Formats: sequence, C-alpha cells, structure tokens
Amino acid sequence: MSLHMMLSLLRRHSLIPLLLALQVAMACAILCNVLFLAWQRLEPMLADSGMDEANLILVDNVYSSKGAFSPAQLQAVVLALRQAPGVASVSPAFGLPMVTSGLVDFALQGPTGVKVGTNGYFGEGLVKTLGLKLTAGRDFLPGEYLDWGVGYEGAKQDEAATRPIIITQSLATQLFGSTQPLGQLLSDPGDKQGKTHYQVIGVVAHLLRNQLSLANHGRADNTILVSYRLAGGYMLSFGVRSQPAMRELALAGVRKAVERELRTMMGVDAQPKISFYAERRAAAFKNDRAVLWLFGGVIAAVVVVVLLGIMGLSGFWVQQRTRQIGIHRALGARRGDVLRHFLLENALITAVGIALGMGLAFLGNRLLMAHYELPSLPWGYLPLGALLMLALGQLAVLSPALRASNVPPVVATRSL
Amino acid sequence: MGLVYSLQLAIAGGCRNPRNSALAAITVAVGLAACMTTLTLLHVLSADPLPGRSQNLYLAWVDTVQAKHEDYHSLNGVKYLDYRLIKTDAAKTLLDAHRATRQTVVAGLQVDVGTDDSRREQKGQDLLATSADFAPMFGLALRYGRPWSQEEDRTRARVALIDVGLAQQLFGTPNAVDRLIRVKGSLFRVIGVVAHFAPSPHFYGLDRWSFDAKRHETVFLPYSAALEVGLDNFNQDRCDASVSEAPIHADLARCSWLMAWVQLENAQQVSDYRQYLNHLNEQTPRSQAFGKAEPAQLIRTDEWLGMQQVVPDTVRLNVWLAGSFLLLCLVNVAGLLTAKFLSRGSEIGIRRALGAPRRAVFAQHVLEACTVCLAGGVLALPLTLGGLWILRQQADSFSALARLDLGMFTTLFALALGLGVLVGLLPAWRASMVQPGLQVKSA
Repeated sequence: MSLHMMLSLLRRHSLIPLLLALQVAMACAILCNVLFLAWQRLEPMLADSGMDEANLILVDNVYSSKGAFSPAQLQAVVLALRQAPGVASVSPAFGLPMVTSGLVDFALQGPTGVKVGTNGYFGEGLVKTLGLKLTAGRDFLPGEYLDWGVGYEGAKQDEAATRPIIITQSLATQLFGSTQPLGQLLSDPGDKQGKTHYQVIGVVAHLLRNQLSLANHGRADNTILVSYRLAGGYMLSFGVRSQPAMRELALAGVRKAVERELRTMMGVDAQPKISFYAERRAAAFKNDRAVLWLFGGVIAAVVVVVLLGIMGLSGFWVQQRTRQIGIHRALGARRGDVLRHFLLENALITAVGIALGMGLAFLGNRLLMAHYELPSLPWGYLPLGALLMLALGQLAVLSPALRASNVPPVVATRSL
Repeated sequence: MGLVYSLQLAIAGGCRNPRNSALAAITVAVGLAACMTTLTLLHVLSADPLPGRSQNLYLAWVDTVQAKHEDYHSLNGVKYLDYRLIKTDAAKTLLDAHRATRQTVVAGLQVDVGTDDSRREQKGQDLLATSADFAPMFGLALRYGRPWSQEEDRTRARVALIDVGLAQQLFGTPNAVDRLIRVKGSLFRVIGVVAHFAPSPHFYGLDRWSFDAKRHETVFLPYSAALEVGLDNFNQDRCDASVSEAPIHADLARCSWLMAWVQLENAQQVSDYRQYLNHLNEQTPRSQAFGKAEPAQLIRTDEWLGMQQVVPDTVRLNVWLAGSFLLLCLVNVAGLLTAKFLSRGSEIGIRRALGAPRRAVFAQHVLEACTVCLAGGVLALPLTLGGLWILRQQADSFSALARLDLGMFTTLFALALGLGVLVGLLPAWRASMVQPGLQVKSA
C-alpha cells in the first residue's frame, strides 16, 4: 500500500490515530522532562571526586561548648591523630567533600571577565591527605599558609597580599580557556575595591565540590584549595588518610583520639561524626536516591501506560480491519507487506505524536523554569525522547501487527 | 428514556468486556492515586497553621541593627538567612506601646528540662521564650492553671507553662500546676499546663523548623526571665557592627533575635500600625556610616509563609508531574473506551434503528465512562493510602505529615466523577455518531 493511501486512510478514520498520537505526545513530553530532572540528580553522583576515596576518613561536627579551641589544643589533637595506628596523613580543614557543616562560597573572576561560583576548601596538606593528583604546578609551601578559624581571634588580615590557590583542570579551562593557568591572577567580583587577588600555583585533575546540588552541568569540579591553615576557633573538622591495609584500625584509632582529646571541650552530649568517605557519600546522596527512585517510578508508569494503550488501540483497529486485510492479502499482498504496513502506520502516527510532544516538552520545561531554579532543556533530550517513543511504539504495535499479518486471505470471501 | 435504564445498560456494558473495563479502571486509579498522593502532601503543607486566627496575625519588623546592609551576591545561590528578627530594645518598645490589639515576641531554643530534685529529666525539649499575649493570640489552650500576666513579664517572674505530655513525663500527672521545673540550673514555677500545641507550618519559628511531625514546643517562659537566667543560645539574624565575628556566642543585646507578632483586626488598624512602625524606624538613631535603614515591615501570616517559601519546591514539582501523568492516563482511557464502544457498533446501530435517539446513546456511554472512572476512584483509595504510606517513610521531616483527610477523600471522588464525564465525552460522541442503517446491513 502506498504512503499516499495510508495517509488518506488515517485522515478518514481520524479519532483512533488522534488518540494514539496524543498519548505519544504526552508521554514524550513527560519522559523528556523527567529524564532531564533525573539527570540533574544523577550527575553529581557520577562525578569523579579526584580523591583517594577508599582510605579517606572524615571527622566533623566538632563544636566547642566552652569558648574557642586554642591553637595548642588543635595541635594536640593533630598529634594524637597522627600517632594513631594506620594513619598516613592528617589535615585539620574547613570545607571538605561530602561535609556540609562548613561551606565556603567563593566567586572568582578570570582575566577574560568570566565569573565562576566555586566552593573553597581550607587546610594544610589537603593535597596529600585527600590524595589529589597535581597535573601542573605545585602544592602550597608551609610558609604560604595563613592562620584562620571560625571565630578564631588570632586570624591575621592580609588585605593587600595575593592568596595562592590550587584549582581544578575544569576550572582552568572555564577561567583561562586554552591559556596556561599557572601564575595567573584571579579577582573576587564581589569586592568592589578590587583588593583581593588569588594566584593559581597548582592544578589538580579533579576535586568534587561540597555544594552537591550544584555539582551538575559541568560544575562538579568548581572547587579550589585556598592556602589557609585551620588554627583554632569554635568548630573543627579533619581529613584523615589511612594506610590501605589498616583502614579499620585507623578508624578506631581516630575515634579514640578524638574522644580522648576533645571530649572535655565538646561537652557530654556532643556527637562528632567520624566515618569513611563512602559512608558520608551514601548519607549525602540519600535524598537524591529517593528522588531518583521516584523518577524511575514515573518513567516506568508512563512506559507501561503507553505500551498498554498503544497495544489496546492498535489491536482494536486491526480487528476492525480484518476483512480489509483479508482482501489485501487475497489481492496478492504477502504477510511481510501487511506487517510492514502496520509498523509503518504506527511509525507515522508516532512521528506526528513526537512532533507534538517536542512542543509540549519544551512548554513543560518553560513552565518548570518559571517556578523552579532549573536550566532550559538541552536539545539533546528531544531526539532521545523521540527515539524512545519510536521504539516504544514499534514494540507495542508488534503483536497486533503480527496478528494482522496472520489474517488468511480467505477472510475476504466471508460475510459478504 | 429513564436514567435507571441508561445506568443498567452502562453497567452491563462494563461487564461485557471485563478485561478492557478493568484495564481502563486500573489506569484511572493509578493516575488518580499519583495525583491525590502529591496533592495531599501539598494540601497538608500549605494548610493554614492557625485557622480563624492567622488572618489577623502580622509579623512586625523594624530595622534597628547598627550595621551596614550587606549586598552579598553569591554565584552559588548562597543566601543570608533572614527571619526578620528584632533586637531586645525594639521588642520592648513594641510591647510597651500597646498599639495593636495584642502584641508578643517569640524566640526559641532546645533545653533539657528536669524536676526541682533533678530526679527526672527530659532532654532536648523545645522551649519558647515569649510574652504574656502569646497564649491568647496564638490560641494556646490551657488544661490547668492560668497564663502569665504582663506584670509578670515586667517583673521577670520565674513562671512557666508546660505541655501536658511533658507534665506527665516529669511529674506523672497532667496537673503539674505549682510544681517546679529546672531549666539550665534555674527553677521556674509551673502556673499552667497547656494542650498539645503544634501549628504546622511552624510559622513563628521557621529558623528552627517549618514542618516536623516530631517537634513541638513543650515549655513556654517569659522572655525577660529567660534572659535573666542566662538562656542565650537563640538564633540571631544580624548583629551591630560593634559585635566581633564570633557567630556562636553573640551578644544578644546587640543582635536581633526576637520575632514580633501583633494582632490587628481591620484594615484601618493595619494601616495605623504600619505608620507607627515607619515612624519608629525613622526615629531610631543611626550612624551615617551604616547608610539608610531598611523600611519597616508588617507582614500577614500567609504573606510571610509565601515569602519564606515554606512549601518545598519538590512538593509542587511532584504535583505537576503527577498531574501530567493523570492527563496521559485519561487520554489512554479515552482510547480504551473508544475501542470498546466502537466494537459494539452494530449493536448501537440496531438500537438507533429501533428508534433510540442519538442523545440516549450518548448519555448511556458517558454514564458507562463515569462508572469506569468511579470504579477507578474506589481502586485509587487504597493506592493513595499506599502512596502516602511510602511518603511517610521518607527521611525528610515534612513528608511524615502526609495524611488523607475527609476533604481530600471527597475531592478524590468528585475528581473521579468529573474525569469520567470528561473522558467519556469523545468516545460517547463517536459512538452516538454510528449510522443506524449501515450497521444493521452488515450485522
């Protein structure tokens, strides 16, 4: 049967193809948007953290109940942690991956005027403790660190100086393009006097930021290490790297050392969090996982409803046309011709639905953007949705189409 | 033709092709359940926290903090939290002026509360430091005893109202009037026992929680007495520039930490009070170095909840998702019904040939669609309850509040019926267009 004939057939019996196309359109719009929403949550989970995750122990939720921790007290804890069995490296730090109790918000402006929002991590020796891979430049020198702490009184102001920082490969590309990043100066776009400057002295391959909700759209590596040394203050956190063979021993040792050195300052009720990176990661993504399950459920429900819908309607339509199929066969059409006819018909209807669905998907995305902080739907999702719907349509119509192709030519002679 | 006959035909039609009818009903049920589950959560979260009172309650705010306003723009979407708190002095001025029908200030924290002999102790109780008018303004229901007076606010009396549950836990009896409780080492005399008080959202203390099925205030103290005994771990908004940067132990006298609420009965009172606040704002001496003060604000409860965006975005997003899924289900059911109706085309043809008007055929099929959708509505009920159960297992504090009430229950059925009509229109129209003659010929 020619395409022209098929189209005129569709036009004459328009209600059923219309309902089919409408279903495809709505499913396409929902799937595109849900897939996009799901990707927002999935992207941070898939990002490369750049760290030696297996051996990293994180310690936080350490608050003083009796005034600030002094530098001497902090030094005593660091010493105790270093002496714990199986501990390879210790860094008192502020801002650590998967730790949201301390968040440092940094805005950087490159020489071309590009502004990038980043998260900063402070702490001496973090490159070594986190196990980061330097791809260019060097680590901070001991003399480059400046003392700092939350409510720490000994913190010095350095208004005129430029602070050395280490950035990630991704940030280097965003800020400097193809230019060599080492030695370049960055400024703070919020600082109107233009006094604050940061100088890039090193580049690491990857480092995951701790504002995880922003770790998508290529922003996962928007993280910098700043040459501040945590020296005291009201809240402490630590990164501790264990020796691979002595992980459990190291964890127990760290717990014991924190308990011994800090309990009197923290108070009886305080509950410091001390666990391996994997555990913190699981906790940090708990909510996202629940949301992803929900989206998965929506996708599954939409797919099932559409499959059943197309199957039911197409089946009915085939049944209605049994005699015509028989005539068609009697006039010389082969089984393959009938099968192809129904597959092609479905593809045509689905295509109309998809065209409509793309418009709907776009509208839906605009609607969501108006109410929620959401970027616009990337074009790539539309062909993805289209392909998905086409495959679903063909799958759903397969059984009715096979049934149609099995209609014997003799049907044409009956009930005339 | 009688409605009863139409209904009989509709039900008979539904039973004739049970697989198709069941599939249609299940599809409607799943769509409805998804929609109702998300709507119920939205409904619970956007409910009026104090029905009958909240429309007269206004948050009053004046800018008396002696510091420059930071215009901080983050590229990471980090915002300074601003709960419109005021300083102690401003609070005293507002309370003493008596310009509103009633006025009160609130601030809260968590404390351990014990009996005077320290035999029993309840940890982590939510305490509200407030003033005398709180009880009548917010409808605090007293089971025993009396609320404290404004005089007791002024004299910093060591008196307290406690929750009936806490009274039971501490003293083994709900009537704990005249017993003593120990808060941070100081003794307070219980003068009243109040019924469980948990407005949701927790609009007068969003800094601590907005929705939490597990938390509610169990101790109420005069704020003046609370300050005197050294309760000072209250959250703060902004501090005077003279306060050094130590965010954990700030100086309450120079920081904003109290939230002021006033009760105003009519538009005239509201505009008068607004004028009064503006006047107060302008009268506050302010150093040139800090720039102009921000305008004073008077915000009604519902506006306040909107400003603070208490209903999480994801909840609304899920309603949109479920709504569009329901639409998809409806188109699907419309398709199923079309197939079903048209497959008995010859029968309709015969009915028409025998004299049934087009209208009767149409009515019969719309009714059949309604029956299917109502069956879907009945099926949706257990599904919705299941969906809400799943919601309550979520980790976030607000999902635990999701429960179906009578209003939502009736909405479910009204929705099912309305959808039945909507979904039935197109297939029923198509069925009523069947030509009598043609079908009789081929039958």
